Amino acid sequence: MPQDLADVYRTTYRALVRFLYRKVWDAERAEDLAQEAFARAVVHKPENARGWLFIVAANMARDEARRAVRERRHLTLLTAEPQESTPASDHALEAESDRTRVRAALEALSPRDREVLLLWDAGLSYDEIAAQTGLARGAIGTTLSRARRRLVEAFEAGKSGKHVARG
Amino acid sequence: MSHVDEGLLHAYIDGELSAAETQGVAAHLAQCPACRGRLEEARALIARADELLAMAASPDRAAPPFRAGDVKPPARLWWKVPLPLTWAATVALALGIGTYLGEGLTSRGRPVVAVATDSTMPRVPAPTPAARDLVERRERRATAPRPAPTSPAPAPTQPAAPAAAPQLRAKNGRMQDRPDQEVAVQADSLAAAGRREEVRLAAKIAGSSAAEESAISIDSARRLLGTDPLVVPGLPIEAIYPGHALGYSGVVRIEQVLDRNTMIEVVTGRAAPAPLSEVTTAGRARADSLAALGPKRAMAPAAAPAPTFLRAPALLLEVRGPLSPDSLAALRRLLQPLRP
Repeated sequence: MPQDLADVYRTTYRALVRFLYRKVWDAERAEDLAQEAFARAVVHKPENARGWLFIVAANMARDEARRAVRERRHLTLLTAEPQESTPASDHALEAESDRTRVRAALEALSPRDREVLLLWDAGLSYDEIAAQTGLARGAIGTTLSRARRRLVEAFEAGKSGKHVARG
Repeated sequence: MSHVDEGLLHAYIDGELSAAETQGVAAHLAQCPACRGRLEEARALIARADELLAMAASPDRAAPPFRAGDVKPPARLWWKVPLPLTWAATVALALGIGTYLGEGLTSRGRPVVAVATDSTMPRVPAPTPAARDLVERRERRATAPRPAPTSPAPAPTQPAAPAAAPQLRAKNGRMQDRPDQEVAVQADSLAAAGRREEVRLAAKIAGSSAAEESAISIDSARRLLGTDPLVVPGLPIEAIYPGHALGYSGVVRIEQVLDRNTMIEVVTGRAAPAPLSEVTTAGRARADSLAALGPKRAMAPAAAPAPTFLRAPALLLEVRGPLSPDSLAALRRLLQPLRP
């Protein structure tokens, strides 16, 4: 069992961080949460460790988000301000502003579309996504196609300064 | 075949269709230029979306090495996990308790335990059968060297505290596996002698670890408890097992059949913690492991005796089973002594 989990760790850890990062938008926090999820897996020894980890991670990220709301830690998403106080290179600035725009675009998606997209991007199969979100397997393709389209649209709109309504 | 819808197209590109579906889509695409055009659009869209997501990727850092032995159960957040996962959290508590206790039960365990044991409050749902299975599997490993059968129970009139000694000695074989953890449990539950929450928790853990004990007769159970064990009247009794509650003179686990698929356990324990001196003279604790607990903790039981608790014939009770907390609480209200 621990050996299995070590394998899962090797194959899933980075995907989990990737998934979490798009939810908490803080690399260190994402890594912390991923580690915490694995720490729980060590204790629980879930049968389907991979799916279980993503469920736990999603719950932890949601929890983080709720707390963020409570603390009124709203970030101005579209102003593309570099977060570093030290002067950053042009390249870093550009990457940062891209990241901010993608983040804004992601947040323009409906929660369900966003979840499905992020799970797919983290490497989960349609079956795994269906099991996790409760959507029918046959609906995953449709949801993904809508999520991708809206992501691209919202990103382009953000770039030209327009606002795309959610929905 | 009619035109391929957008979702199917994406699933096709994602490689998530069954062989038959893939064939169907491919066949249609072969003879439908319009859909082939849409296929290319969908491909471009997917590529663009992936590109955007890659822009928002976290800085790619190597994963820290995985060392299962080092990972501690998380100290925070878990009780906030939404309901479907709370049973898992309960199991986590039970399984990780040694580690938790090593760091001090009072700060972390208590709120949880209060929820789990106070029948007047909404309770954490009982572990599902799967969760129980986990617990048992783990316990089976932990108890690999089978302890000798428990020596005959002391007479009911005997003071409860010394009575704990033979039982604890009988468990020595088991203790050698994880002396530190067990001692931590012991010392802590003693430190908390007056607090029934911990007490029940200890019984709970001990109850599960007794999963492989051999069954005993109702008369032995009575001797062990010094009184009639409690059962849900009218339900067939599958088996009676002795439980080893740390620091307690007697715990009895009675399995009753609720229906064809459901077994409940009624745990009755005679609540009478043993003083720490009894525990150490019985040879359960290695001197170094006890010292590792620190002087403060080791002194605590002596400083905080709980005379009312020692004298009271108070029973600790627990009804467990793969049922909702409400149902278990309802069953608990039905408990009656099992008279001869």
